[in-house]
Amino acid sequence: MSAHVIDVGSRSIREVSAELQQAARTREAVHVINTLSRHNLGIGLPPGAEVSFEGSVGYYCGGLNTGARITIEGDAGWGVGEGMDAGHITVGGYAGMSAGAAMRGGLIHIKGDAGPRAGVAMKGGTIVVEGKLGAQAGFMAHAGKIIALGGAATSCADALWQGEIWVAGDIESLGVDAKVVEPTPAQVAEVEAILAPLGLAGQSRNWRRIIAGQRLWYFESRDANAWLMI
Amino acid sequence: MCGIAGRILGKTGDVGTDLVELMDAQAHRGSDSTGFAIYAPPRAHGYVVRAMGFDRAGLGRDLEDFLLILREHGGDFLENPTWDSAPDKHYSVRMVISDPANVARWIHDADMLCARLEVQSVGRALEIIKDIGGAAEVAAKHHVRGMQGTHGLGHARLATESAVRPNASHPFWARPFPDVAIVHNGQITDYTNWRNRLERQGYRFLTQNDSELIAVWVSHEISQGMTLQQALDHSIKQIDGVFTYMIADLNGIGFAKDRFAIKPLATVQADGAFCAATEEQALRRVYPGGAKIINYDGPAKTGIWGKGGLAA
Repeated sequence: MSAHVIDVGSRSIREVSAELQQAARTREAVHVINTLSRHNLGIGLPPGAEVSFEGSVGYYCGGLNTGARITIEGDAGWGVGEGMDAGHITVGGYAGMSAGAAMRGGLIHIKGDAGPRAGVAMKGGTIVVEGKLGAQAGFMAHAGKIIALGGAATSCADALWQGEIWVAGDIESLGVDAKVVEPTPAQVAEVEAILAPLGLAGQSRNWRRIIAGQRLWYFESRDANAWLMI
Repeated sequence: MCGIAGRILGKTGDVGTDLVELMDAQAHRGSDSTGFAIYAPPRAHGYVVRAMGFDRAGLGRDLEDFLLILREHGGDFLENPTWDSAPDKHYSVRMVISDPANVARWIHDADMLCARLEVQSVGRALEIIKDIGGAAEVAAKHHVRGMQGTHGLGHARLATESAVRPNASHPFWARPFPDVAIVHNGQITDYTNWRNRLERQGYRFLTQNDSELIAVWVSHEISQGMTLQQALDHSIKQIDGVFTYMIADLNGIGFAKDRFAIKPLATVQADGAFCAATEEQALRRVYPGGAKIINYDGPAKTGIWGKGGLAA
Protein backbone atom coordinates (compact mmCIF):
# COMPACT_ATOMS: atom_id res chain seq x y z
CA MET A 1 0.00 0.00 0.00
CA SER A 2 1.47 3.37 -0.97
CA ALA A 3 1.80 6.05 1.67
CA HIS A 4 -0.54 8.97 2.00
CA VAL A 5 1.52 12.01 0.93
CA ILE A 6 1.08 15.37 2.62
CA ASP A 7 2.69 18.46 1.08
CA VAL A 8 3.45 21.12 3.70
CA GLY A 9 4.87 24.06 1.74
CA SER A 10 3.26 27.27 2.89
CA ARG A 11 0.03 25.66 4.19
CA SER A 12 -1.04 26.44 7.74
CA ILE A 13 0.30 23.96 10.28
CA ARG A 14 -3.20 23.63 11.75
CA GLU A 15 -4.47 22.41 8.37
CA VAL A 16 -1.49 20.06 7.90
CA SER A 17 -1.95 18.67 11.41
CA ALA A 18 -5.63 17.95 10.81
CA GLU A 19 -4.83 16.02 7.65
CA LEU A 20 -1.97 14.21 9.35
CA GLN A 21 -4.07 13.18 12.35
CA GLN A 22 -6.86 11.97 10.09
CA ALA A 23 -4.49 9.86 7.99
CA ALA A 24 -2.62 8.55 11.02
CA ARG A 25 -5.81 7.39 12.71
CA THR A 26 -6.74 5.30 9.70
CA ARG A 27 -3.42 3.47 10.25
CA GLU A 28 -2.32 4.59 6.82
CA ALA A 29 1.42 5.24 6.43
CA VAL A 30 2.00 8.94 5.89
CA HIS A 31 4.86 10.59 4.04
CA VAL A 32 5.23 14.32 4.58
CA ILE A 33 7.11 16.31 1.95
CA ASN A 34 8.23 19.90 1.40
CA THR A 35 8.61 20.42 5.15
CA LEU A 36 10.86 23.51 4.83
CA SER A 37 11.89 23.26 8.50
CA ARG A 38 8.38 24.30 9.57
CA HIS A 39 7.59 24.06 13.29
CA ASN A 40 5.10 21.84 15.16
CA LEU A 41 4.82 19.07 12.61
CA GLY A 42 3.52 15.70 13.82
CA ILE A 43 2.44 16.75 17.30
CA GLY A 44 0.44 14.31 19.43
CA LEU A 45 0.40 11.46 16.94
CA PRO A 46 -1.48 8.35 18.07
CA PRO A 47 -0.17 4.85 18.79
CA GLY A 48 0.40 2.77 15.69
CA ALA A 49 0.82 5.67 13.31
CA GLU A 50 3.76 5.58 10.92
CA VAL A 51 4.87 8.98 9.65
CA SER A 52 7.99 9.97 7.74
CA PHE A 53 9.16 13.51 7.07
CA GLU A 54 11.23 14.17 3.97
CA GLY A 55 13.87 16.83 4.56
CA SER A 56 14.32 18.81 7.74
CA VAL A 57 11.74 19.86 10.30
CA GLY A 58 11.54 22.83 12.67
CA TYR A 59 10.77 22.98 16.38
CA TYR A 60 8.88 20.34 18.41
CA CYS A 61 8.40 17.73 15.71
CA GLY A 62 6.94 14.57 17.23
CA GLY A 63 6.18 16.33 20.50
CA LEU A 64 3.63 14.67 22.80
CA ASN A 65 3.92 11.47 20.81
CA THR A 66 1.74 8.75 22.30
CA GLY A 67 3.11 5.81 20.36
CA ALA A 68 3.71 6.66 16.73
CA ARG A 69 6.78 5.69 14.78
CA ILE A 70 8.19 8.87 13.27
CA THR A 71 11.10 9.14 10.87
CA ILE A 72 12.71 12.49 10.11
CA GLU A 73 15.01 12.04 7.17
CA GLY A 74 16.96 15.29 7.65
CA ASP A 75 17.68 17.47 10.66
CA ALA A 76 15.28 18.34 13.46
CA GLY A 77 14.96 21.72 15.14
CA TRP A 78 14.61 22.37 18.83
CA GLY A 79 12.59 20.09 21.09
CA VAL A 80 12.13 17.05 18.87
CA GLY A 81 9.95 14.58 20.76
CA GLU A 82 9.38 17.00 23.63
CA GLY A 83 7.03 15.56 26.23
CA MET A 84 6.57 12.28 24.37
CA ASP A 85 5.03 9.40 26.26
CA ALA A 86 5.65 6.47 23.91
CA GLY A 87 6.71 5.63 20.40
CA HIS A 88 9.88 5.82 18.37
CA ILE A 89 11.40 8.85 16.66
CA THR A 90 14.37 8.62 14.31
CA VAL A 91 16.26 11.75 13.28
CA GLY A 92 18.45 11.17 10.25
CA GLY A 93 20.79 14.08 10.92
CA TYR A 94 21.31 16.67 13.63
CA ALA A 95 18.80 17.32 16.39
CA GLY A 96 18.73 20.85 17.83
CA MET A 97 18.49 22.09 21.38
CA SER A 98 16.53 20.11 24.00
CA ALA A 99 15.81 16.93 22.09
CA GLY A 100 13.46 14.82 24.18
CA ALA A 101 12.87 17.52 26.76
CA ALA A 102 10.57 16.29 29.54
CA MET A 103 9.88 13.05 27.68
CA ARG A 104 8.30 10.33 29.77
CA GLY A 105 8.74 7.27 27.59
CA GLY A 106 9.57 5.94 24.16
CA LEU A 107 12.82 6.23 22.25
CA ILE A 108 14.48 8.98 20.22
CA HIS A 109 17.27 7.83 17.94
CA ILE A 110 19.46 10.65 16.60
CA LYS A 111 21.86 9.56 13.89
CA GLY A 112 23.88 12.79 13.92
CA ASP A 113 24.86 15.04 16.80
CA ALA A 114 22.49 16.43 19.40
CA GLY A 115 22.38 20.09 20.43
CA PRO A 116 22.67 21.35 24.00
CA ARG A 117 20.43 20.11 26.82
CA ALA A 118 19.28 16.89 25.15
CA GLY A 119 16.99 15.14 27.61
CA VAL A 120 16.54 18.20 29.80
CA ALA A 121 14.12 17.33 32.60
CA MET A 122 13.32 13.98 31.02
CA LYS A 123 11.25 11.68 33.19
CA GLY A 124 11.67 8.42 31.34
CA GLY A 125 12.39 6.88 27.98
CA THR A 126 15.63 6.70 26.06
CA ILE A 127 17.64 8.99 23.81
CA VAL A 128 20.30 7.41 21.62
CA VAL A 129 22.77 9.73 19.89
CA GLU A 130 25.13 8.22 17.37
CA GLY A 131 27.16 11.42 17.23
CA LYS A 132 28.15 13.83 19.97
CA LEU A 133 25.95 15.08 22.78
CA GLY A 134 25.73 18.87 23.12
CA ALA A 135 26.46 20.86 26.26
CA GLN A 136 24.52 20.22 29.46
CA ALA A 137 23.05 16.95 28.25
CA GLY A 138 20.53 15.52 30.69
CA PHE A 139 20.24 18.77 32.62
CA MET A 140 18.01 18.04 35.63
CA ALA A 141 16.83 14.75 34.15
CA HIS A 142 14.62 12.86 36.57
CA ALA A 143 14.70 9.44 34.94
CA GLY A 144 15.51 7.65 31.71
CA LYS A 145 18.68 7.02 29.76
CA ILE A 146 20.72 9.09 27.35
CA ILE A 147 23.23 7.06 25.36
CA ALA A 148 25.87 8.78 23.23
CA LEU A 149 28.31 6.97 20.99
CA GLY A 150 30.35 9.99 19.87
CA GLY A 151 31.29 11.67 23.12
CA ALA A 152 29.80 14.64 24.93
CA ALA A 153 30.39 18.40 25.09
CA THR A 154 30.77 20.52 28.20
CA SER A 155 28.82 20.22 31.45
CA CYS A 156 27.61 16.73 30.70
CA ALA A 157 24.90 15.56 33.14
CA ASP A 158 24.72 18.93 34.87
CA ALA A 159 22.42 18.78 37.91
CA LEU A 160 21.25 15.32 36.96
CA TRP A 161 18.81 13.80 39.40
CA GLN A 162 17.86 10.21 38.73
CA GLY A 163 18.47 9.69 35.05
CA GLU A 164 21.68 8.28 33.71
CA ILE A 165 23.92 9.14 30.80
CA TRP A 166 26.09 6.67 28.99
CA VAL A 167 28.94 8.01 26.89
CA ALA A 168 31.36 6.21 24.61
CA GLY A 169 34.04 8.68 23.54
CA ASP A 170 35.46 11.86 25.00
CA ILE A 171 33.59 13.98 27.50
CA GLU A 172 34.71 17.62 27.37
CA SER A 173 33.66 18.25 30.95
CA LEU A 174 31.21 17.01 33.54
CA GLY A 175 28.46 19.21 34.93
CA VAL A 176 27.76 20.10 38.52
CA ASP A 177 27.16 17.03 40.69
CA ALA A 178 27.82 14.58 37.86
CA LYS A 179 29.59 11.39 38.86
CA VAL A 180 31.19 8.77 36.61
CA VAL A 181 30.77 5.20 37.78
CA GLU A 182 31.96 1.87 36.43
CA PRO A 183 29.03 0.05 34.83
CA THR A 184 28.40 -3.56 35.69
CA PRO A 185 28.36 -6.17 32.91
CA ALA A 186 24.61 -6.51 33.39
CA GLN A 187 24.13 -2.76 32.94
CA VAL A 188 26.29 -2.77 29.81
CA ALA A 189 24.28 -5.66 28.43
CA GLU A 190 21.10 -3.71 29.05
CA VAL A 191 22.43 -0.72 27.07
CA GLU A 192 23.73 -2.89 24.25
CA ALA A 193 20.29 -4.49 24.07
CA ILE A 194 18.83 -1.05 23.43
CA LEU A 195 21.39 -0.38 20.68
CA ALA A 196 21.18 -3.72 18.87
CA PRO A 197 17.71 -3.22 17.31
CA LEU A 198 18.95 0.15 16.02
CA GLY A 199 21.73 -1.54 14.08
CA LEU A 200 24.37 -0.36 16.53
CA ALA A 201 25.38 -3.61 18.15
CA GLY A 202 28.53 -5.61 18.10
CA GLN A 203 31.18 -3.05 18.94
CA SER A 204 33.39 -2.95 21.97
CA ARG A 205 32.87 0.42 23.57
CA ASN A 206 34.59 2.16 26.42
CA TRP A 207 31.45 3.09 28.32
CA ARG A 208 31.23 5.65 31.04
CA ARG A 209 28.04 5.71 33.04
CA ILE A 210 27.22 9.07 34.62
CA ILE A 211 24.81 9.46 37.48
CA ALA A 212 24.04 12.11 40.10
CA GLY A 213 26.63 12.62 42.81
CA GLN A 214 23.68 13.49 45.06
CA ARG A 215 25.49 16.51 46.49
CA LEU A 216 22.71 18.76 45.19
CA TRP A 217 19.99 16.62 46.71
CA TYR A 218 18.39 18.35 49.62
CA PHE A 219 16.23 15.49 50.81
CA GLU A 220 16.68 14.21 54.32
CA SER A 221 16.43 10.71 52.96
CA ARG A 222 18.50 9.31 50.09
CA ASP A 223 15.61 6.98 49.33
CA ALA A 224 13.86 8.88 46.58
CA ASN A 225 10.95 6.45 46.57
CA ALA A 226 9.96 7.79 49.96
CA TRP A 227 9.43 11.18 48.35
CA LEU A 228 7.45 10.08 45.36
CA MET A 229 3.80 11.01 45.74
CA ILE A 230 2.53 8.54 43.17
CA MET B 1 12.07 36.17 22.09
CA CYS B 2 13.10 38.14 19.03
CA GLY B 3 14.13 37.05 15.56
CA ILE B 4 17.34 38.16 13.89
CA ALA B 5 18.85 37.64 10.46
CA GLY B 6 21.97 38.45 8.48
CA ARG B 7 22.58 38.26 4.78
CA ILE B 8 25.77 38.64 2.73
CA LEU B 9 25.70 38.56 -1.06
CA GLY B 10 28.67 37.78 -3.25
CA LYS B 11 28.10 41.10 -5.05
CA THR B 12 25.66 44.00 -4.89
CA GLY B 13 22.11 42.69 -5.21
CA ASP B 14 18.63 42.43 -3.74
CA VAL B 15 19.68 42.29 -0.13
CA GLY B 16 16.58 44.25 0.92
CA THR B 17 14.25 41.65 -0.58
CA ASP B 18 16.14 38.78 1.05
CA LEU B 19 16.07 40.44 4.47
CA VAL B 20 12.34 41.10 4.17
CA GLU B 21 11.78 37.41 3.40
CA LEU B 22 13.98 36.36 6.31
CA MET B 23 12.08 38.58 8.72
CA ASP B 24 8.65 37.80 7.34
CA ALA B 25 9.36 34.11 8.02
CA GLN B 26 10.21 35.04 11.61
CA ALA B 27 7.46 37.60 12.18
CA HIS B 28 5.95 35.34 14.87
CA ARG B 29 9.08 35.88 17.00
CA GLY B 30 8.43 39.58 17.41
CA SER B 31 5.26 41.37 16.49
CA ASP B 32 6.14 44.76 17.97
CA SER B 33 8.50 46.17 15.40
CA THR B 34 10.79 45.28 12.52
CA GLY B 35 13.99 46.80 11.27
CA PHE B 36 16.70 46.46 8.67
CA ALA B 37 20.33 47.55 8.38
CA ILE B 38 21.35 47.61 4.75
CA TYR B 39 24.84 48.17 3.41
CA ALA B 40 25.00 49.64 -0.08
CA PRO B 41 28.34 49.91 -1.88
CA PRO B 42 30.21 52.48 0.23
CA ARG B 43 30.47 56.07 -0.89
CA ALA B 44 33.95 57.58 -1.28
CA HIS B 45 32.83 60.80 0.38
CA GLY B 46 29.86 61.87 2.43
CA TYR B 47 27.49 59.93 4.65
CA VAL B 48 23.96 58.64 4.39
CA VAL B 49 22.01 59.60 7.49
CA ARG B 50 18.78 57.96 8.53
CA ALA B 51 16.78 59.75 11.21
CA MET B 52 13.36 59.61 12.82
CA GLY B 53 11.29 62.65 13.67
CA PHE B 54 8.56 62.46 16.25
CA ASP B 55 6.18 65.17 15.05
CA ARG B 56 5.50 65.32 11.33
CA ALA B 57 4.00 68.77 11.72
CA GLY B 58 7.45 70.06 12.70
CA LEU B 59 9.38 68.30 9.94
CA GLY B 60 10.48 71.46 8.13
CA ARG B 61 11.69 73.12 11.29
CA ASP B 62 13.45 69.94 12.43
CA LEU B 63 15.41 69.71 9.20
CA GLU B 64 16.32 73.39 9.28
CA ASP B 65 17.74 73.04 12.79
CA PHE B 66 19.50 69.82 11.84
CA LEU B 67 21.15 71.53 8.86
CA LEU B 68 22.18 74.46 11.02
CA ILE B 69 24.11 72.16 13.37
CA LEU B 70 25.56 70.22 10.46
CA ARG B 71 26.88 73.42 8.84
CA GLU B 72 28.47 74.44 12.13
CA HIS B 73 30.54 71.25 11.81
CA GLY B 74 31.52 71.87 8.20
CA GLY B 75 28.94 69.60 6.55
CA ASP B 76 25.98 70.23 4.27
CA PHE B 77 23.23 68.38 2.47
CA LEU B 78 24.49 66.82 -0.76
CA GLU B 79 20.97 65.91 -1.84
CA ASN B 80 17.55 67.09 -0.81
CA PRO B 81 16.32 65.01 2.14
CA THR B 82 13.49 62.56 1.47
CA TRP B 83 10.94 61.14 3.91
CA ASP B 84 8.10 58.69 4.06
CA SER B 85 4.59 59.88 3.28
CA ALA B 86 2.69 57.72 5.81
CA PRO B 87 -0.07 59.33 7.89
CA ASP B 88 1.81 58.53 11.13
CA LYS B 89 2.86 61.28 13.50
CA HIS B 90 6.45 60.06 13.44
CA TYR B 91 8.40 60.17 10.19
CA SER B 92 11.61 58.69 8.77
CA VAL B 93 13.96 60.87 6.83
CA ARG B 94 16.95 60.03 4.62
CA MET B 95 19.70 62.56 4.15
CA VAL B 96 22.97 62.51 2.22
CA ILE B 97 25.51 64.84 3.74
CA SER B 98 29.08 65.91 3.12
CA ASP B 99 31.67 64.95 5.70
CA PRO B 100 31.50 66.87 8.97
CA ALA B 101 34.92 67.78 10.35
CA ASN B 102 34.47 65.24 13.15
CA VAL B 103 31.55 62.80 13.11
CA ALA B 104 31.55 62.15 16.85
CA ARG B 105 31.50 65.84 17.74
CA TRP B 106 28.85 66.59 15.13
CA ILE B 107 26.59 63.75 16.30
CA HIS B 108 27.05 64.88 19.89
CA ASP B 109 25.64 68.28 18.94
CA ALA B 110 23.04 66.87 16.56
CA ASP B 111 21.72 64.80 19.45
CA MET B 112 20.61 68.03 21.11
CA LEU B 113 17.66 67.68 18.75
CA CYS B 114 17.05 64.02 19.59
CA ALA B 115 13.73 64.67 21.30
CA ARG B 116 12.50 65.97 17.93
CA LEU B 117 14.76 64.33 15.35
CA GLU B 118 16.79 61.28 16.33
CA VAL B 119 19.67 60.13 14.14
CA GLN B 120 19.45 56.37 13.72
CA SER B 121 22.36 55.62 11.44
CA VAL B 122 25.34 57.31 9.85
CA GLY B 123 27.47 55.56 7.31
CA ARG B 124 29.27 55.54 4.02
CA ALA B 125 27.17 52.45 3.25
CA LEU B 126 24.85 51.78 6.20
CA GLU B 127 21.18 52.69 6.30
CA ILE B 128 18.97 51.62 9.21
CA ILE B 129 15.24 51.48 8.55
CA LYS B 130 12.97 50.51 11.42
CA ASP B 131 9.41 51.02 12.52
CA ILE B 132 6.46 49.60 14.40
CA GLY B 133 4.84 46.58 12.75
CA GLY B 134 5.68 43.34 11.01
CA ALA B 135 8.17 42.79 8.21
CA ALA B 136 5.68 43.13 5.37
CA GLU B 137 4.21 46.33 6.80
CA VAL B 138 7.55 48.02 7.54
CA ALA B 139 9.03 46.92 4.22
CA ALA B 140 6.10 48.30 2.26
CA LYS B 141 6.11 51.60 4.13
CA HIS B 142 9.83 52.17 3.64
CA HIS B 143 10.35 50.41 0.28
CA VAL B 144 12.91 48.01 1.72
CA ARG B 145 12.42 45.38 -0.99
CA GLY B 146 13.87 47.74 -3.56
CA MET B 147 17.06 48.40 -1.62
CA GLN B 148 20.26 47.13 -3.19
CA GLY B 149 23.37 46.28 -1.22
CA THR B 150 26.09 43.82 -0.37
CA HIS B 151 24.96 42.74 3.08
CA GLY B 152 22.66 43.59 5.94
CA LEU B 153 20.81 42.66 9.10
CA GLY B 154 17.17 42.21 10.04
CA HIS B 155 15.25 42.12 13.30
CA ALA B 156 11.76 41.30 14.55
CA ARG B 157 11.22 42.60 18.07
CA LEU B 158 9.20 41.26 20.94
CA ALA B 159 9.69 44.01 23.50
CA THR B 160 10.41 42.78 27.01
CA GLU B 161 12.33 45.36 28.99
CA SER B 162 11.92 48.62 27.12
CA ALA B 163 9.13 50.46 25.40
CA VAL B 164 7.44 49.65 22.11
CA ARG B 165 8.36 52.76 20.17
CA PRO B 166 9.56 53.22 16.62
CA ASN B 167 12.97 54.36 17.81
CA ALA B 168 13.33 51.48 20.28
CA SER B 169 13.20 49.03 17.37
CA HIS B 170 16.31 47.27 16.14
CA PRO B 171 18.82 47.41 14.50
CA PHE B 172 20.82 49.88 16.55
CA TRP B 173 23.60 52.02 15.29
CA ALA B 174 26.82 51.99 17.37
CA ARG B 175 26.65 55.69 18.10
CA PRO B 176 28.92 57.50 17.09
CA PHE B 177 30.86 54.90 15.02
CA PRO B 178 29.82 55.15 11.34
CA ASP B 179 28.70 51.98 9.54
CA VAL B 180 28.36 49.76 12.61
CA ALA B 181 24.97 48.20 13.38
CA ILE B 182 23.67 45.44 15.61
CA VAL B 183 20.70 43.11 16.00
CA HIS B 184 20.21 41.16 19.18
CA ASN B 185 18.01 38.41 20.56
CA GLY B 186 18.16 38.13 24.33
CA GLN B 187 18.60 40.05 27.56
CA ILE B 188 21.65 41.75 29.03
CA THR B 189 21.29 41.40 32.78
CA ASP B 190 24.09 43.78 33.77
CA TYR B 191 22.89 46.44 31.33
CA THR B 192 22.70 49.29 33.84
CA ASN B 193 26.24 48.77 35.10
CA TRP B 194 27.71 48.72 31.61
CA ARG B 195 25.65 51.68 30.47
CA ASN B 196 26.83 53.73 33.44
CA ARG B 197 30.46 52.86 32.70
CA LEU B 198 30.14 53.77 29.02
CA GLU B 199 28.28 57.00 29.78
CA ARG B 200 31.10 58.02 32.10
CA GLN B 201 33.37 57.66 29.07
CA GLY B 202 31.19 60.03 27.08
CA TYR B 203 28.90 57.71 25.14
CA ARG B 204 25.26 58.62 24.73
CA PHE B 205 22.28 56.25 24.67
CA LEU B 206 18.95 57.34 23.30
CA THR B 207 16.83 54.38 24.44
CA GLN B 208 16.62 52.01 27.39
CA ASN B 209 17.18 49.09 25.05
CA ASP B 210 20.02 46.77 26.09
CA SER B 211 20.84 46.04 22.45
CA GLU B 212 21.93 49.64 21.95
CA LEU B 213 24.51 48.95 24.64
CA ILE B 214 26.11 45.99 22.86
CA ALA B 215 26.68 47.97 19.69
CA VAL B 216 28.54 50.69 21.58
CA TRP B 217 30.30 48.18 23.86
CA VAL B 218 31.83 46.25 20.96
CA SER B 219 32.73 49.38 19.00
CA HIS B 220 34.35 50.91 22.08
CA GLU B 221 36.53 47.83 22.56
CA ILE B 222 37.60 48.03 18.92
CA SER B 223 38.39 51.73 19.30
CA GLN B 224 40.67 50.77 22.20
CA GLY B 225 42.70 48.43 20.00
CA MET B 226 40.88 45.12 19.85
CA THR B 227 40.05 43.38 16.61
CA LEU B 228 36.38 42.59 15.98
CA GLN B 229 37.06 38.92 16.76
CA GLN B 230 38.76 39.82 20.03
CA ALA B 231 35.88 42.12 20.98
CA LEU B 232 33.33 39.39 20.24
CA ASP B 233 35.26 36.87 22.36
CA HIS B 234 35.64 39.42 25.13
CA SER B 235 31.92 40.23 25.10
CA ILE B 236 30.81 36.71 26.00
CA LYS B 237 33.11 36.75 29.00
CA GLN B 238 32.29 40.26 30.14
CA ILE B 239 28.62 40.82 29.37
CA ASP B 240 26.15 38.91 31.50
CA GLY B 241 22.90 37.53 30.17
CA VAL B 242 21.48 35.27 27.51
CA PHE B 243 21.98 36.53 23.99
CA THR B 244 22.81 35.96 20.40
CA TYR B 245 23.77 39.11 18.57
CA MET B 246 25.09 39.96 15.13
CA ILE B 247 27.12 43.08 14.48
CA ALA B 248 27.83 44.37 10.99
CA ASP B 249 30.34 46.80 9.56
CA LEU B 250 31.57 47.61 6.08
CA ASN B 251 33.40 44.30 5.81
CA GLY B 252 30.81 41.76 6.93
CA ILE B 253 28.97 40.37 9.94
CA GLY B 254 30.22 39.07 13.28
CA PHE B 255 28.21 37.14 15.85
CA ALA B 256 28.44 36.12 19.48
CA LYS B 257 26.43 33.69 21.60
CA ASP B 258 26.38 33.69 25.39
CA ARG B 259 27.79 30.99 27.66
CA PHE B 260 24.40 29.39 28.33
CA ALA B 261 23.35 28.49 24.77
CA ILE B 262 19.81 29.76 25.14
CA LYS B 263 19.31 31.67 21.89
CA PRO B 264 19.42 29.94 18.51
CA LEU B 265 21.31 30.72 15.33
CA ALA B 266 21.33 28.81 12.05
CA THR B 267 23.35 29.58 8.94
CA VAL B 268 23.80 28.69 5.28
CA GLN B 269 26.77 29.28 3.03
CA ALA B 270 25.91 28.57 -0.57
CA ASP B 271 26.43 29.95 -4.04
CA GLY B 272 29.07 32.41 -2.82
CA ALA B 273 26.66 34.00 -0.40
CA PHE B 274 25.79 33.68 3.27
CA CYS B 275 22.64 33.74 5.32
CA ALA B 276 21.97 33.56 9.08
CA ALA B 277 18.74 33.55 11.04
CA THR B 278 17.30 32.67 14.39
CA GLU B 279 15.13 29.99 12.81
CA GLU B 280 16.07 27.50 10.15
CA GLN B 281 12.71 27.87 8.46
CA ALA B 282 13.62 31.47 7.60
CA LEU B 283 16.72 30.24 5.76
CA ARG B 284 14.49 27.88 3.76
CA ARG B 285 12.61 30.95 2.54
CA VAL B 286 15.81 32.19 0.85
CA TYR B 287 17.07 28.70 -0.04
CA PRO B 288 13.92 26.68 -0.76
CA GLY B 289 15.92 24.13 -2.69
CA GLY B 290 17.45 22.52 0.40
CA ALA B 291 20.79 24.12 1.24
CA LYS B 292 22.95 22.64 3.99
CA ILE B 293 22.15 24.26 7.32
CA ILE B 294 24.76 24.75 10.03
CA ASN B 295 23.33 25.25 13.51
CA TYR B 296 25.20 27.22 16.16
CA ASP B 297 23.30 25.80 19.12
CA GLY B 298 26.24 25.47 21.48
CA PRO B 299 27.42 27.86 24.20
CA ALA B 300 30.03 30.62 23.96
CA LYS B 301 30.42 30.84 20.21
CA THR B 302 31.74 33.72 18.13
CA GLY B 303 32.70 34.24 14.52
CA ILE B 304 32.93 36.63 11.60
CA TRP B 305 31.53 36.18 8.14
CA GLY B 306 33.32 38.43 5.70
CA LYS B 307 31.88 40.12 2.67
CA GLY B 308 34.55 38.69 0.41
CA GLY B 309 35.64 35.19 1.37
CA LEU B 310 32.76 34.61 3.80
CA ALA B 311 35.01 32.99 6.38
CA ALA B 312 37.17 35.87 7.48
